[in-house]
Amino acid sequence: MSLGLLARFPSLSHAYRTTRAATTAASVWGMYKVPEFVRKRLGRPEPKSLGETHERAAKKILDLALELRGVNIKMCQVMSTRSDVFPPEFVRTLKLCHDAVPPHEFEVVRAVVERELGKPIGEVFAEFDATPLAAASLAQVHRARLRDGRQVAVKVQYPDIEDIVAVDLKNMARICRVYERFDPQPMPLLPLVREMTEHLALELDFVREVDNAERIRAIFAGDTTVAIPVVHREWSTQRIITMELVEGIKITDVEGLRAAGLDLGHVVNALMSVYVRMIMAAGFFQADPHPGNVFVRPDGQVVVMDFGLCKELPDGFGLGLFELMFSMMTMNESAMIRAFTELGFRTKTGDTTTFIELAKRMLRRSGTGRFEGEFTEGMTDELFEAVRENPVVEIPTHFVLVGRVFSLLSGIAHTLGHRANVLAAMGVG
Amino acid sequence: MDRLEWSSVELLEREPGLEPLIASGVRCHGGFDADGRYRSPRTSHRMPAIAAWQARLATDGHALLSIPDSLLPPHHPNVAQARLLLLEGVREPIVRALTMISIVEGFGAIIRDVPVPDLASLVREPIEGTALAHLSGGLFEAHARDEAGHKDEGGHKQMWEAARDLALDSPKIPSDILMRMMGGARARTRRERLFPRLDETLEDMLATMVNVLVIEVFARGTFDWGETLLSDPEISARPKEAGAMVGYIRADEAPHVEYLRTALSEVRARTLRTVDGGDGELLEGRIVVDALLHRALEFTTRQRPQEQRNATRTSITSSLEKVADAARVRSLLERFDALETPFSPSEKTGFEAAE
Ligand SMILES: Nc1ncnc2c1ncn2[C@@H]1O[C@H](COP(=O)(O)OP(=O)(O)O)[C@@H](O)[C@H]1O
Ligand SMILES: [Fe+2]
Ligand SMILES: [Fe+2]
Repeated sequence: MSLGLLARFPSLSHAYRTTRAATTAASVWGMYKVPEFVRKRLGRPEPKSLGETHERAAKKILDLALELRGVNIKMCQVMSTRSDVFPPEFVRTLKLCHDAVPPHEFEVVRAVVERELGKPIGEVFAEFDATPLAAASLAQVHRARLRDGRQVAVKVQYPDIEDIVAVDLKNMARICRVYERFDPQPMPLLPLVREMTEHLALELDFVREVDNAERIRAIFAGDTTVAIPVVHREWSTQRIITMELVEGIKITDVEGLRAAGLDLGHVVNALMSVYVRMIMAAGFFQADPHPGNVFVRPDGQVVVMDFGLCKELPDGFGLGLFELMFSMMTMNESAMIRAFTELGFRTKTGDTTTFIELAKRMLRRSGTGRFEGEFTEGMTDELFEAVRENPVVEIPTHFVLVGRVFSLLSGIAHTLGHRANVLAAMGVG
Repeated sequence: MDRLEWSSVELLEREPGLEPLIASGVRCHGGFDADGRYRSPRTSHRMPAIAAWQARLATDGHALLSIPDSLLPPHHPNVAQARLLLLEGVREPIVRALTMISIVEGFGAIIRDVPVPDLASLVREPIEGTALAHLSGGLFEAHARDEAGHKDEGGHKQMWEAARDLALDSPKIPSDILMRMMGGARARTRRERLFPRLDETLEDMLATMVNVLVIEVFARGTFDWGETLLSDPEISARPKEAGAMVGYIRADEAPHVEYLRTALSEVRARTLRTVDGGDGELLEGRIVVDALLHRALEFTTRQRPQEQRNATRTSITSSLEKVADAARVRSLLERFDALETPFSPSEKTGFEAAE
């Protein structure tokens, strides 16, 4: 069945989507459990590594997601960020879903825009590019020009995405429940589905996304080192966002940045300062600094886009995180335990020395063996891995998001040949 | 001549047999000798070493630079203003101020991560037996440990927190502190290079040392303020302990000021090679250090007091507005302003380039 057809006959596709998801789930489950069953029957030893199985399973899930799109892509994206739950092979494969999304045809997009604005597209826009700038799981972005001549970017939600999301989520929850009943040691998938349901409801609400954008804009009011695209509220609805078109150099485009005469160290500082101010100071942050969402203008100004996933942090989080970094820098163990507890980390046994082990594991991956202010990708991976192996420690969800942000920033900084030093970016002292 | 070469193990050595300093339940560095006198941490070799380097500088006929007290802006808010707020029950701005001091102290530890270039190749004259040659060999590390603590011993960060908690009875810490500290645009403007011909790592290191020296010298005003305020029984729950704690911190800072001004004086007495190389391309250390000092002092005596006043002002009004009506806010602010210490920055820093 072609994708176009699916989009036009949503009801027909319901049955298909359900079956397709269920068979994939069953076959993935089988990949893990059948060999284990056989192994146990025959008394074989534990296999050395499940790496290959993980990879095959992840590939199957990715294929499904790219075919059914909607929530399934979102699920992949969510899974690819949860290295605290899933093995590395999974995470690596599922990351591919970020770039692999094919766009919808223009007619589909036009229909949504016209329905949302209640007008023919030509009454609002003097031009509207048929080819999108970018396509993602829930929406795609088109370049356009308003009738007064201003250049805009229009983010358009896919049609029927709400229905599709609802069906997919229901399927997923059902599959997870069955899986949890059958598997004696289930991975905690149901909470993930719940979290995703929550996030998706938020991300499908573009009015909320616009509110987020304005809230972040307010944090940087009067600051010329950062830009957040201005939204044209009168041409924005629940399902489309019309905003200022921003141009710039993609933050990981090293050649482009150099050609503009920018000092890569300054670029990293500016980027870090933006995220550190949101997370440590404002307590409200854009939780998605993947390189597609950050541009740099030739004068060094950092542009941040995409406020679908923003998160409010609990009161005192910034100070707590600061104390954690400080205690790790000085290897002050009692302060580390206080900070982890303050941040909402818990151990099921109440044994706080587990936190010290956790910190030591992370420090071994810092590059120098000491904490110098950077949460490297290695450190974050190590933290999540430790938590996955040792279900005694619980990480608060917002810390997972923050950890992921710092890990992404560290990746970007390293691409530019620099380090993502959080303490230095605070610019104190 | 006294010993001029010291290992980092020696410079970092803790005096044995001291009674530890416990500050509101947190073990801190330093301790008390048999006579009950406070001894700063890691000073048994560090102090004699610095004295020896200073003696040598004098023997060689070079000056030890010093920053005159007359440049020092008064602490804002001053003691009388802080007392007024506390007596009126407006505690948040003072809690904020004390917490910010503790955070800034802690950040002092980043001096250990300042890259030190190969000084022997960048300085024309020999540097053996100087403080300069010992920066990465224990001096920066000792400084870092003093400020932020080391392993399970707290440093100045924890000691300021203790002083605050003793005096003000473990107050609730306002969660907007980091936002206020990171708000300034200054943090984001990068330091301009003054000597592009100089090795960049060298200029960065010298600029950082100069800035830290200026901060350490001007911190005297903060210590006097903290000590007087927190040992005032009218506003402090534990006047003796809280005041004494600030006194210990002040004592610990002495080696910081001394090693920094010694090493910078040693640079002043030497010549620096530029990146274009060759002995024909030299810069006098004195010109470099003085220019960096002049810039830091201009900023600290002119721009900074104003910035600080504005920041304190917003801190006070935002806290006041939570607890008082508009009329009371106005009258409190009037009384607050009437207590202001007048200050006009001096015309010259004393480190202007010679005409
Ligand atoms: N205002 C804009 N100007 C220019 N390009 C934009 C703008 N908004 C989004 N884009 C481009 O479109 C891509 C997708 O938009 P985004 O809001 O990130 O959607 P999603 O939430 O689906 O990731 C962005 O990564 C960016 O490259
Ligand atoms: Fe995006
Ligand atoms: Fe200090």
